[in-house]
Amino acid sequence: MAIEITRPGKTSLIVQTPVMPAAGTLGFADEYRSLIDYANLGALVTNPTTIEPWQPAAGTRVVSLDAGLLVHTGLPSPGLSALIRQYRRAWAKLPIPVVLHLLGTTPDQAKRAAELLDAVDEVAAVELGLGDDIGVAEASALVRAAASVEKPLLVRLPFYECYELALPVAEAGADALVMTAAPRGTARDAQGGRLVSGRLYGPLIKPLVLRMVGRLRRELPADIPIIGCGGIHSPGDARDYIEAGAVAVQVDTATWAQPKMLERIARDLGGWIATRHADALLDEWHPDMGRTEALQVRGTG
Amino acid sequence: MRETQAIVERIKRVNRGYQRLELAVDHSLSSLLPGQALLTRRISKDYEAENWHPYLRDLWFPVEILAGNILVVERHAREQFVPGQLLSILGPIGKPLRFRQKLRNLLLLAYESPPTPLLLMLQPLLEQGTSLTMVTLGAARDYDCAHLPEEVEIIQAGDDHSWQDMVMTLGWADQVFVLVGEGPELARFAEVMRLIRGRRSDVPANTIFGIFQRQLPCGVGACQACMLPARGKAKLQCLDGPAFDLTQLRLA
Repeated sequence: MAIEITRPGKTSLIVQTPVMPAAGTLGFADEYRSLIDYANLGALVTNPTTIEPWQPAAGTRVVSLDAGLLVHTGLPSPGLSALIRQYRRAWAKLPIPVVLHLLGTTPDQAKRAAELLDAVDEVAAVELGLGDDIGVAEASALVRAAASVEKPLLVRLPFYECYELALPVAEAGADALVMTAAPRGTARDAQGGRLVSGRLYGPLIKPLVLRMVGRLRRELPADIPIIGCGGIHSPGDARDYIEAGAVAVQVDTATWAQPKMLERIARDLGGWIATRHADALLDEWHPDMGRTEALQVRGTG
Repeated sequence: MRETQAIVERIKRVNRGYQRLELAVDHSLSSLLPGQALLTRRISKDYEAENWHPYLRDLWFPVEILAGNILVVERHAREQFVPGQLLSILGPIGKPLRFRQKLRNLLLLAYESPPTPLLLMLQPLLEQGTSLTMVTLGAARDYDCAHLPEEVEIIQAGDDHSWQDMVMTLGWADQVFVLVGEGPELARFAEVMRLIRGRRSDVPANTIFGIFQRQLPCGVGACQACMLPARGKAKLQCLDGPAFDLTQLRLA
């Protein structure tokens, strides 16, 4: 099954399964290789990178919340050139397309990054992450600069500015919109005793983003693909996004809690259902055991 | 690193604050070495009924390995477990601790933290003839050490973090492993290093190791939430740790 998840144009991103990790959750390359079969995913979206090296945040990085968490890593990155040198061999070995998540800072930097990435065959597409509180003009300029890349350009919208930015960003050259970056929040770190700000993750994010996806799907021109991202923790959650109009989904921190969930969702949306192995006892079997007895139901006539 | 399942077989209270759980684990975990840990999550038999609270996996350092693929872990007594409880385990996490080849005297410092991550090394080192001293500082003094092997010398530091023969204890150690409580870990390690440097004329590299026990979201180096400020290349607790030479870290 081949699914085109970006606008047809100069090039487009085609995936076998409309499920991929959200930026920042699966690492820069194959860090999860011992726990996840990458061949079951649609694509790898890398951790965010900046064109210049970026240092990790100081202090508390993770705060556990009720059914969720707050994360503030500072998005450490060795810088785009170093990252390409370090990971391009690993990217080449992956059985799925690699989408490099680029953090947008200035149009100049976005243009430089686009030029660099055009020469990297191992990267199939670029996902531009827009910062929070970015204005329409600034976001459009950034996207126009990044859109000089020959590869498909996905743009991840910030949570709070999602409605305002969606159309201008699409008109500026985005080939698909990723909705959305995780919202920001503040929570008290029980260990350190301080208030910590960061991005919020957990199942409760899903209803918020699902509503945005549904509304923008109705409002935006039909040729602008939307990729749903936020709070997906089960195959049912992912199907809800597809029903609301998303062409694909990105799974975020559910993978940290339950690594096999990403694959389970990918198998489900990819048209595979898992059936129990004929010789397995019921209590020896669970859906994460792989696709030994998987049955492809879609496209079998 | 694999994802496997374990069952809580037995639960035994070891002191007023802690209980020990005997876990029947996959055989791949029975060769775990001191320093290596598990990322653990309670699960139910119904795999469709995922419970997302607590959300992240807990970092568990085994304290003993028994025959028949049984791992023993020590948890606070206020945590509720029942025999038969199913667990999802990612592991092993991290690298084994590296001991000096001719290690004779080892000093263990637990500051504001129960000494649990230090316990798996006790028995094998005692069998090799290593002399072990464990000093508890701050809130770590609340931990009742009566169930630990009696060959381990236990010292409770005073409120000012000093103890009798402190200079001798610190000078005598070939290697030191330091454990601090969660929270401002780097600042606490810096405090312990100041304490050691004040009483020991030289602190060469590869002598004082800090054991980190930060909460690890992924455990495989993907999330980078456990990145530590090391001299040279940054280090990740989940892949390069949990023990780091404290002279090589940029402490607060």
